[in-house]
Amino acid sequence: MNIVDKGIEAIAAGAKEYLSFRLGQEEYGIDILKVQEIRGYEAPTRIAHAPAFIKGVINLRGTIVPIVDMRLRFACAQAEYSSLTVVIILNLRDRVVGIVVDSVSDVLELAPEQLRVAPELDTGMDAQCIRGLGSVGDRMLILLDIERLMSSMDMGLAAAEG
Amino acid sequence: MADTYPQSSGAGADFDLSQFYQIFFEEAGENLDQMERMLLNLDLDAANDEELNGIFRCAHSIKGGAATFGFSDVAELTHHMESLLDKLRRHELRLIAPMVDALLESADASRSLLARHQAGGQGEAPSTHDLVRSISELVSGAVPAIPAPVVEQPQPAPAPGPAAVAPALPTAAAGGQRALEIHIGPLDQPALADAIKELFRDIPGLGQIEDLPDERAGMRRFAVQTVSSDEDLLDLFAFHVAKEQVAIHGAAVAAPADQAAITPAEQYGFFAGAPGVPVDEVAAAALAVTGAPVASAVKPAQARAPAESRQGTQASMESSTIRVAVNKVDQLINLVGELVITQAMLAQNSRGLDAGLHQQLLAGLADLDRNTRDLQESVMSIRMIPMSTVFNRFPRMLRDLAGKLGKKVDFVTHGEATELDKSLVEKITDPLTHLVRNSLDHGIEAPEARLAVGKPEHGTLTLSASHQGGSIAIEVRDDGKGMSREKILKKARERGLDVHDAMPDGEVWQLIFAPGFSTADVVTDVSGRGVGMDVVKRNISALGGSVEIDSAEGYGMRVSVRLPLTLAIMDGMSVGVGEEVYILPLSSVVESFQVNADDLNTVAQGSQLVKVRGDYMPVVALERIFQVPRTTDAQGPGNNIMVVVEADGSRVAVLVDELLGQHQVVVKNLETNYRKVPNVSGATILGDGTVALILDTGALVRRARH
Repeated sequence: MNIVDKGIEAIAAGAKEYLSFRLGQEEYGIDILKVQEIRGYEAPTRIAHAPAFIKGVINLRGTIVPIVDMRLRFACAQAEYSSLTVVIILNLRDRVVGIVVDSVSDVLELAPEQLRVAPELDTGMDAQCIRGLGSVGDRMLILLDIERLMSSMDMGLAAAEG
Repeated sequence: MADTYPQSSGAGADFDLSQFYQIFFEEAGENLDQMERMLLNLDLDAANDEELNGIFRCAHSIKGGAATFGFSDVAELTHHMESLLDKLRRHELRLIAPMVDALLESADASRSLLARHQAGGQGEAPSTHDLVRSISELVSGAVPAIPAPVVEQPQPAPAPGPAAVAPALPTAAAGGQRALEIHIGPLDQPALADAIKELFRDIPGLGQIEDLPDERAGMRRFAVQTVSSDEDLLDLFAFHVAKEQVAIHGAAVAAPADQAAITPAEQYGFFAGAPGVPVDEVAAAALAVTGAPVASAVKPAQARAPAESRQGTQASMESSTIRVAVNKVDQLINLVGELVITQAMLAQNSRGLDAGLHQQLLAGLADLDRNTRDLQESVMSIRMIPMSTVFNRFPRMLRDLAGKLGKKVDFVTHGEATELDKSLVEKITDPLTHLVRNSLDHGIEAPEARLAVGKPEHGTLTLSASHQGGSIAIEVRDDGKGMSREKILKKARERGLDVHDAMPDGEVWQLIFAPGFSTADVVTDVSGRGVGMDVVKRNISALGGSVEIDSAEGYGMRVSVRLPLTLAIMDGMSVGVGEEVYILPLSSVVESFQVNADDLNTVAQGSQLVKVRGDYMPVVALERIFQVPRTTDAQGPGNNIMVVVEADGSRVAVLVDELLGQHQVVVKNLETNYRKVPNVSGATILGDGTVALILDTGALVRRARH
């Protein structure tokens, strides 16, 4: 059975592909279909009075794209910018947004039986934004509803008074 | 082959016309616009044949299209219009005002019929019955019809010729057969005309054809007996000769005396209208009415010049245009913007290269630089459309409004060819309409009042557009009664506005832009230009423009609107604050100067004022507004340049570190992917590929004033 057959079988079984990335010690997964591209970090233009995790805006081939540092958003211990820092450009329903992460790991295919319901957590974010947990071997992926996360008010991306 | 493309042949079989509907609607709309314009320009006393022919062509095109697509109501209405126009251009009827009215009304009716079809035939069709009847009455000469030759004879017929006029041939012979005279040429190969004779031989029932002598080189004349319509004939002939080379006349045995009376201009008219002229019943009726041959052989000398001038006009008509979706153009502009940025980056990176070692590379980059600039300019010009698209809607509006108000007004336009960005043109139309309306409504007096003060009965309303530097100036001017300074001041005091008698005129006029200054009694008592003027001003300011008023009581008033040429590109001044770069719209920059610490004064809560030539001006420190981080050691030149910007009529001094330069910037929207940022109107991409924010000077001024 070749890879293609396996993939088709997996999709038929309701499997979805996730892009996994690291923030500090944690590993997250987002729907691969929301990802437009992955690029290196370049210093954005700062926007005054924006929340700290909004680093500013960059020029993505003529489009002005805001950059959100997920490490600052999730209050990681440190957020350094090196030549290895990665920006994932997301193409969400109504906007293009870049998120800064420590590193991108790989693309994983998760079958429904690999998904777990996330327990009630006391985290810095709306529990609604966590779709669940994915277990791949001994790794645990926090699966984010990135669309919901990015459109939530406290992100300050939408035109709210904040 | 047939097996290879089964689908294409299938598609051809049930050919779907609906895919061309949009094109037809657009073209019909254009034709109606053009027709309306020409109707309004018609001089009742000396109607130009060329114009009448133009109007006729418009009606004819719409009729043809409507019939093709099966919109029979439009086709019927335009057919009647065409009949009337045909009589007019043949000078069988004299142009009178009711005809113009009826034609304009029909144009409106056609427009609404078309709109209904465009919407998929929803709703009830407007009735055109009355219109059709009134046009038919006009056509049948319910108003006195004067035979053309009498009216048109400007001078005694010069040609001696036989005095006796030959009686008109019985054109409408049995079985609807018509006798026609067909002119073909000029032809390179006269043999082509012979091919037409063969057509008559080969197609049974087409009719008979006979050669007539024609002394002109390359021209052929035929006498034809046929039952076919002119359109059919032209279509047939098109196999062999170009339609333009064929002229079909209602036949006549030559009547030289009358021929001579027909001026070359008329002949020209005939030629121009020839393709597709429905001569059938109209021509027959024409013959009956005038009792004179409609047209006949053309004298060689006369024919030559018109034929040449016709070719001239055709060439200019063929200046072809294509219809392109706006988003395609915008995409092109975006791509070119990218190219410009890439080019700038290449230029920056190649600066350090040794000119001797990399001569070719550097020469190539220089070419690239030039070409991208040219490319950007040409691409931007695609979005530019002439002001005439706005101006053209006013004659009609003024005509209707003047009629309603019982005023007489001449409308003059200048600079219709001035080009402006499409998006601006769309947005400026409403404010301009308002201004023009106001001028007519409240500025220009009634004819009696004008005569009483020694002015000509007709008021003049002038609309002009011109380029002035990087902006466009549009002026609405009237010679009406102008505005009264005293009354405005009085009204302003009643409203509790801060005014005094010594105010300069300019400031007094600006008062009418105050919101709420436009109450009904102001309209009648003062000059009434307050109606919605605040809205006009706001709309124009939103486009980055300004409005100024100039008026002299009793002599009229002038409203000048200044607008940037385009919203997509603007001239910017880049300023540096700390490590950051911001762009100020150059249009709002007044001056810049270096400031001494002594000139800065602080008031109460720490807001600063700067003394400029004796006046104090609020200071806006960008560093503070945008919380620019500053590393203490990189103090550099420091915070000591003031850029004075003006917006909404007031000025503030913007404190920056340094002036970096002036350049054209492509304005990008921040809100597409982010949201509105206070004090920022947009963003742009600098030469090095980074983003710089464009400052909203209006917001900065408001901020400082509050």
